[in-house]
Amino acid sequence: MIKLDKVDKVFPGTTVPAVDQVSFQVDEGNICVFVGPSGCGKTTILRMINRLVEPTGGDIYIKGQKVSDKGVNPDYLRREIGYVIQQIGLMPHRTIEQNVALVPRLLKWPEDKIKPRVKHLLEMVGLEPDEVAQKYPHQLSGGMMQRVGVARALAADPPIMLMDEPFGAVDPIVRGRLQDEFLRLQKEMKKTICFVTHDINEAIKMGDHIVIMNKGRLVQHGTPMEILSNPADEFVKDLIGSDREIKLLELTRSEEIVEHTDEIPEVVNKKDCFIQAIDPVQRALETMMKKDSDLVGVRDGESFIGTISWEDIKKHINRISGDQA
Amino acid sequence: MELFGGSTGWFAGFYDEYLGFVSFIIRRWDQVIEYTFNHFSLVLTVMFFSLVLWISVGLLISRYEKLANTAFGIGNILFVIPSISLFGIFITIPMLGLGRTSAALALILYAMMPMVRNVYRGIKSVEWPIIEAGRGMGMSPLQILFQIQIPMAWPVIFAGIRVTVVMITGIATVATYIGERNLGRFIHHGIARESADMIIAGAVLVSIIAVLLDFILGKIEFKITSPGLRREQDQN
Amino acid sequence: MEFEMERFISALFDRSPPHAVEHLQLVLIPLTTAFIIAFPTAVLLTRRRFIKYTDRVMTFFNMGQTIPPLAVIAIFFPFLGLGRTPALFALTIYALLPIARNTLAGLKGVPQDVKEAARGMGMSEWEMLFKVEIPLSMPVVMAGVKISVVLTSGTAALGALVGGGGMGAVIFAGIDFFRAELIIAGTLIIGVIAIVLDRLLTVIDNILTPPHMKT
Ligand SMILES: Nc1ncnc2c1ncn2[C@@H]1O[C@H](COP(=O)(O)OP(=O)(O)OP(=O)(O)O)[C@@H](O)[C@H]1O
Ligand SMILES: [Mg+2]
Repeated sequence: MIKLDKVDKVFPGTTVPAVDQVSFQVDEGNICVFVGPSGCGKTTILRMINRLVEPTGGDIYIKGQKVSDKGVNPDYLRREIGYVIQQIGLMPHRTIEQNVALVPRLLKWPEDKIKPRVKHLLEMVGLEPDEVAQKYPHQLSGGMMQRVGVARALAADPPIMLMDEPFGAVDPIVRGRLQDEFLRLQKEMKKTICFVTHDINEAIKMGDHIVIMNKGRLVQHGTPMEILSNPADEFVKDLIGSDREIKLLELTRSEEIVEHTDEIPEVVNKKDCFIQAIDPVQRALETMMKKDSDLVGVRDGESFIGTISWEDIKKHINRISGDQA
Repeated sequence: MELFGGSTGWFAGFYDEYLGFVSFIIRRWDQVIEYTFNHFSLVLTVMFFSLVLWISVGLLISRYEKLANTAFGIGNILFVIPSISLFGIFITIPMLGLGRTSAALALILYAMMPMVRNVYRGIKSVEWPIIEAGRGMGMSPLQILFQIQIPMAWPVIFAGIRVTVVMITGIATVATYIGERNLGRFIHHGIARESADMIIAGAVLVSIIAVLLDFILGKIEFKITSPGLRREQDQN
Repeated sequence: MEFEMERFISALFDRSPPHAVEHLQLVLIPLTTAFIIAFPTAVLLTRRRFIKYTDRVMTFFNMGQTIPPLAVIAIFFPFLGLGRTPALFALTIYALLPIARNTLAGLKGVPQDVKEAARGMGMSEWEMLFKVEIPLSMPVVMAGVKISVVLTSGTAALGALVGGGGMGAVIFAGIDFFRAELIIAGTLIIGVIAIVLDRLLTVIDNILTPPHMKT
């Protein structure tokens, strides 16, 4: 869907490239997360995809077409690509309703289609339309403004979304909630998304695919599991942090390591110590600690399918991270 | 003085001492009307051309940075020239001579500095993330100018218009020395006749016009400025 | 436009110099007086005890701006008679406004956290004023003084109307006799006075402004 081929960007007046020979591909319906330290070129990549910045080398393709083709009008291109900018950038002189309706109005949608669309979008991002629609940005909190920013980018239902730290300006608890809500939305929307963050946890949680950047270069890319279980170098290891194993547990479903049995052990029953098969292994660990048990029962819906023990978890950790240790 | 029952009592004394200009205005009512009308029409003419000309120039230099310094240089030089000189220079140009054209041209030049500067500042004060968002949503440069930059710059542009109107109203009085028959004439003749009443009458009337115009513009500004921008103004 | 170089040269070098000296006085005396009055007053108005009056005084200053310069020059003349005194009086008042306004704005513009920090380090009110607030607001204050310089040197040209002398005498002669040479010569000298004073103030500003605030 989106493809970058050896893309370079050297800003005028600088010698060090902001983006250096970057190639990767984002498949349709996937979330591709760019992660890396400040200044590593994440924003610049997004801005090249919608042509706010022209690359100095390489090619960018959307649905097989080069975005730099003469026939592509950058303004029209951008109306087809939702963009959530890092600084939010709501228009302070316009109401929330007008802000969200910006692209549909540019596309000359009929007014009677815009009103319900705005209402729907505000509800979708968890805002009360009657309450906020006629307010101005300065009357909203940072988190609410970010939601409006996301709603604005979604307004014309673009197949592609570029999201630059869309949940950056909120505290970790609200961020977690916004992430959950967004993933739930994405299940229905199936958009192709480029998502920027400098939070590796957010990347692991949101990404189907992760691109790790450092100093303008692509250091490693792959699924979260691939990156966690096989970090390419010291930089990636540092980025992932020392709790790599725990993160892996978050990514593994309990059903993958369950010891199948029909009999419910007594201790599990007594301590009421159960989890669901689709819960991450992390949850098994938490439940064990909470219930003070070293065995946990696993259910698939109502039916019991087996157990996970403390030993099983340790073995699993050794298996996935031990090979390259 | 009959108006207030003769020249006895404390009020009459107070009136003679401090409010002589009021009876002057009443006595010369016809002239007051004529001069006020002329004053108004000169200011409005000047403002009309200034708005068209200087807002365009302001927008132009906000786009073409290189022109900005030249424009500000010219504006600054014009501003250092005393009003009376500017009027004087224009009347010695044969095509123009004494009268309204010279007066209006000089005043339009005076308006350059505050108007152009504020338009430029206002446009430049729009933070780049907002422009970036506009571009990112696919707005064309003209749409960004008319839907983002100008509406957001309104408070600053309007401040420039108000300052200019007040200034032009005041300086227009000096045009009486090149033949304008406006409220400055009361001051001009007041000096010649050493009449405090006449001078004060002229000064008060001009100030009233200036304050009035400023007030009306303030109302208009409030009407057309987005409520979303008002809080930011309060903070200044 | 008729323009005779010879007449221009003579206007510039024979006729103008004595008036130029008068003009300089018409600018410097009011400016200094105005600064001596406006600066401390404005500083006082930002002190805690008087701060409630600030807005009212500002309104008053802003209203003062609506009085036309010609009226300001003329207004003292019936009471003080012909001569330099009414002109000096008037110009002083005219120069007050920008200085007072910018001093107020400058002091108000000192960030609250900087003041908190200074207080936290144990500075007294006076120390804070002289070591923090005034130095930090100096650029804005000086900008006000510069505006006053330009306004005063231009308005001083009207001083001649009430017998105050100055370059206005030359310019008005030019207007009365339709002599562009006189008007331009007079204007040129006023311009030079304004620009030289402006540069001088820039130098002073550079000395007074703390190094880290220079751009
Ligand atoms: N318009 C520009 N002109 C010159 N240099 C620029 C420009 N925009 C970005 N850069 C430089 O390019 C590099 C990459 O910037 P970019 O904004 O893409 O970083 P980022 O990864 O988004 O960082 P952050 O996490 O802080 O947002 C930086 O060194 C930055 O200084
Ligand atoms: Mg960025």
